[in-house]
Formats: sequence, structure tokens, C-alpha cells
Amino acid sequence: MPTLRVDGVRVTVPAGATVLAAARAAGAEIPTLCHHEGLEPWGGCRLCLVEISKPGWTGEGKIVTSCNYPAEDGLVVRTSGERVVATRRVVVDLLLARCPGTPLVQRLAREHGIEEASYEVNPEPTDCVLCGLCTRACDRMGVSAIASVSRGASRAIAPPFNQPPPDCIGCLACAEVCPTGHIAWSEADGRRTIWGRVFEMQRCEGCGRPHLTAAQAGWARARGAAEQDLRLCDACKREQLARTLRAVSRGETVAAQAAAS
Amino acid sequence: MAIVLRVVTERCNGCGNCEMACAFVHAQGTRPAQPRIQVLGRHASPGPGTPVLCLQCDEPACLEVCPSQALSRDETTGAIRLNEARCIRCRSCVAACPFGNVAWDAARHVVVKCDLCGGDPQCARFCPTGALLSSRTGILTCP
Repeated sequence: MPTLRVDGVRVTVPAGATVLAAARAAGAEIPTLCHHEGLEPWGGCRLCLVEISKPGWTGEGKIVTSCNYPAEDGLVVRTSGERVVATRRVVVDLLLARCPGTPLVQRLAREHGIEEASYEVNPEPTDCVLCGLCTRACDRMGVSAIASVSRGASRAIAPPFNQPPPDCIGCLACAEVCPTGHIAWSEADGRRTIWGRVFEMQRCEGCGRPHLTAAQAGWARARGAAEQDLRLCDACKREQLARTLRAVSRGETVAAQAAAS
Repeated sequence: MAIVLRVVTERCNGCGNCEMACAFVHAQGTRPAQPRIQVLGRHASPGPGTPVLCLQCDEPACLEVCPSQALSRDETTGAIRLNEARCIRCRSCVAACPFGNVAWDAARHVVVKCDLCGGDPQCARFCPTGALLSSRTGILTCP
């Protein structure tokens, strides 16, 4: 159980915790874009920068990303020193130049006292902040249908060869974790479209509502979900449970009720 | 000892107090939440309503399919709890639950399920007819 000092506050965290977790436990406010507790730390957005030093270190501390730096015993962390704030400000400034019209980035910029980007503004503004939450969520699903492509200013998130991704299951987790709502998808007439791929939806056998893609059902089956549980939508499964509960309270056995339905 | 929440279907009068209590206890700010309990079958036999809610299964399908360990068993209450910060919103749990008791809140973009209110289920507290009974001891009597 390492004990650290964060902005003068002593904090003890479980072994294996990150500096970010320790700092937040100590009450420090650290902005993040690419951090998600359910995903691997990545250190991609560079917003969670902090300054660390250890007793015995001489000179200036080291600027590190707190989200993937292990909380070590005796570490001294500064989350809002002049150097940290100035460095973080550059990151936000660059982000604003990349995504000038994105409300989340504009808010971050305001919070860091930036009114206009100091760098040349992206001629093709985008809402993608390259936080990698979508690709890591997709990896977490074990699907890895999308990835980061190209380098430098042309870096982007895309399916392989910019074609409809064959491995995508249409679960929409990428779109849901995206902090700026950049990942577009649509659903109409029993079809779901995302990343240029069109999925035929599986309809609920009770109410006929399209409720998941066939690929999603296959994914859930592979992880142990029962076939019959994927045939109905959640509302129809609740109705089925209610019918069973009523039958039981009428004194019928569950088996008799199942036979009747 | 895990919390036991018992549903006595024939006592339900369909008033919906349980849904309301649930919506308010899980509210974020001033907006009531999507209730984790639902009174169904208001015109079916017997009784004017059937409350349905998570059964906190011994072998939970929701927990089994979750790819990001967002669902876990609360050792104190026995409830399967959702850690919203860990959830990547793939909704596999919604598809896998055999009873439809894990739902998607389209307004807040979160998965919702019963958490037994951390040990004191408010649906049972506000049920006027004793259709919902909760017990900390695991022993339930029908008063």
C-alpha cells in the first residue's frame, strides 16, 4: 500500500493504483479525455499531466501522465504547479487548433484560459480528439474492428482500408464512449448503420422491435448467453417474467406455465 | 447476510409507489431516474399488478457477458451492482439477462439495474400492501 503526497496531502492507495487514482483520492482535480476506468490506461490525451519528484531527487521534477504512472511509495505529486498548468495549457491549445468547433474542447479551453488557439487552426475541423476510447472499447469487446490510422496531422480513427469493417458487430460501444459524439450511426427499418457497414437487426420475437444485430447475438452466445434469452427484447422478457410470477401465485408450476406459453 | 427482497404478487395493488420510490432514490439532481422496478400486468389475473425486478441471480448472465468487469456482486447486500465508470455501454448485459431486468436508459445513456438501494430497498419501504418485503436476516415472514 504505497503512500504518496499529492499537493501536500498524504494519501495511501492500494498497490497497483495509478498516480491519477491517488490524486483524485486526495481530492485533486485533474482533467482527462482518454481515461476510462473500464479500459487500459493509455496516456494519449496528455491532459492528466502532473509533476512528480522523489525525496533525494535534485532539480526540477518530472512531468508525467498520471493515468498510467504507477503510484509509488514516497512519490511527491504536484497537480497544479506553474509548470504543470503551462504544459497542460499547450496540450489544450493544440487540441483547440485541431477541434475548434467541438463544445467539449471549447469548454476545456475556457477552463484553461484560452480564448483562441495560438496555433494554425485545422483547415478541416473535426470532432475527433483522438482519445482512442473507441478503439480501446472495441479492443475490450475482443472485436478490434477499428484502429488509429496514418500519422501526424492526418492521423484518424478508421476501419481497415476505410472499408465497412468486417469484424464489427454493431454494438455501438465506440459511439457511446466517444466523448464528443463524433462517431455517427443510424437505425431505421430494422437496419443499423455504423462505420459504413449495414447490419440487419434481429427482431424481438415478442413485439417485433429490432433490438440487436445478429453479430451482437453471436458475440453474446460465444460468451455464454443462452440462445432463448436473445430472442426477446428486455421489455418482452419482463412481461414473460411477470406471467411466470402470476402463474406461480395462482399455484401453477413453472413447468406448466412454460408448457402453456 | 445478503438482502432478500421478496415479491408477493397477489398482494400488489398496482399503485406504482415502488416505481416512484425507485425513480427518486436513483435520481440524478432533480431528474427522476428510469425505475429499476416495473409493475406489469395491471389487468391480468390475479391482482391488479405484478412487480418485476432483478432477481440478483446466483449465476448472473449479465455479469458473465460483461467485457469490462463493470458488474460485480456486492458482498454486503448480495446485489449485482453496476459500476457506471467501468461500463463501456455495449449493452451485452441487456441482451443476455434472461428476465429483462437490465435495461438501457436512452436518456442518460447508461445501463440501469436494481442495486437493492445499497441494502435498504426503497420499493419495499414504500409498498403499502406488503407485496414487496425486504429482509436483512434472510428470513421473511408474511405479516
